[in-house]
Amino acid sequence: MREIISSIKRTPYQSLTAFFVLLLTLFLSLILFVSLSFINSGLSYLETRPQVTIYFQTKTPENDIFKVRDELNASGKVSSIKYISQKEAFNIYKDMNKDNPLLLEMVTSEILPPSLEVYAKKPSFLPEIAEFLNKQSGVDEVQYQKDVIDRLLTLTGILRKGSFIFFAYLILMSIVVLTTTFLFKIALKKDDIELLQLIGASKNYIRAPYIKEGLFLGNLAATISFVTLMGIILFINPFLSSYLSGITRLTFNISSLEIVVWPLNPIFFAIVYVISLFFGSGISYISSLIATNKYLKV
Amino acid sequence: MITFDKVTKKFPLGDIALNNVSFEIDDNEFVFLVGPSGAGKTSVIKLILKEIIPSSGSILIDDLDITDKKFTSTVNLRRNIGTVFQDFKVLADKNIFENISISLKVTNVRHYDIKNKVKEVLKLVGLENRENYFPAQLSAGELQRVAIARAIIGDRKIILADEPTGNLDPKTSWDIMKIFKKLEGKKTIVIATHNTDIVNSFQKRVIMLKQGKVTKDLRKGGYEL
Repeated sequence: MREIISSIKRTPYQSLTAFFVLLLTLFLSLILFVSLSFINSGLSYLETRPQVTIYFQTKTPENDIFKVRDELNASGKVSSIKYISQKEAFNIYKDMNKDNPLLLEMVTSEILPPSLEVYAKKPSFLPEIAEFLNKQSGVDEVQYQKDVIDRLLTLTGILRKGSFIFFAYLILMSIVVLTTTFLFKIALKKDDIELLQLIGASKNYIRAPYIKEGLFLGNLAATISFVTLMGIILFINPFLSSYLSGITRLTFNISSLEIVVWPLNPIFFAIVYVISLFFGSGISYISSLIATNKYLKV
Repeated sequence: MITFDKVTKKFPLGDIALNNVSFEIDDNEFVFLVGPSGAGKTSVIKLILKEIIPSSGSILIDDLDITDKKFTSTVNLRRNIGTVFQDFKVLADKNIFENISISLKVTNVRHYDIKNKVKEVLKLVGLENRENYFPAQLSAGELQRVAIARAIIGDRKIILADEPTGNLDPKTSWDIMKIFKKLEGKKTIVIATHNTDIVNSFQKRVIMLKQGKVTKDLRKGGYEL
């Protein structure tokens, strides 16, 4: 540690350049990662919402509705169906408008349509289900969110690809800038390296201080960018809470592991921190390795 | 044993540093390489150290042909050689203890052993109580002692010294040579110099080089320009 600090003190401008480049890269990458995590889990959440809602005419007999429900169940394309009777619809309405007695007085259960909330196994089954429902007698209206989901899927796809390209650019740019910075530092120690080689130091021995310094700067930049990001997230937490009100849980999956993104979860942030440490260390390790190799041709 | 067998070293611009040079140096032998500037003394040292490679011929160290393309243990070779450079090559930002201990650190000697060995060698070269000094605080003679201490510490079997007294006054030069004298019979010592007084007084083997060729190889020789 003493050696690292004295090496930084000896070439403060080069060390600061390396540090700020790493800080910027890691901070932007973390923002990208957290944003994508929220967007992906938001999309997953939307996909689990009622995907098709069928409103029947008010006088449609329950048996006809159940017949439609059974046929849908038998199709194998539906994960679940919820029947909402006129009475249940009225209860929901009452609950939603409990603070407005005037609205409650004007409505009775008879004028509210019975409905089915259909959850499809895949979003691609939605058009087929909607087409089938439109052909049924007694159906007043079929609503489904395919367009919204399709648009979100396209948007996330673009965002994911764009982020990947931007992320790759950031990493590449950091490696180039860091390698150049480390080269400046090492050039100042050219004589030391030459002497070390002549007295029998191995390549790894010569590389070690530069790699240690790189790892130190990488981990420091990762920690500071993570703490800054946490500060920002905690600062906007009240806004997030009101914006995401009604959404109790947002998750995304890493293979079979389900990670909770919302409400704010320590495990998710631990993963974010580990990722930032991994990239901080990785970028600085690769850069210092490339830079030292230039001076290590025995 | 160091064996030079018909070694020629040509530099890319056509200068010939060594021309068909052959000699053998036994283990623990004390040898002076003498000759005027440009005779090829430094090239011999650099070749032993594998800092440069010969254009033709072969160099064997303990029967290992270090000029063979299959020879890859340059690091191990150098760990057996201690070198005293004409320009000292002392690290300005490290204190004397660190400058000397670096020679042991590269061979993974334990910290405790390093401390003891550095103290021993500092005593040998007459720099006790100077371990915390920085190079800028030392005289040229003291810096050369540091360079010698770095070269002789540990188990390095061969000591190469390139003009170790080149930048020193006569008295300091003699003091420095006394240190080498103490190592006589314990390590193979090859000293490149053109200091006639020192060579003549030591009465050791002298290999004389001129224009890249061995002109004399005297077992107990003197040296006259």
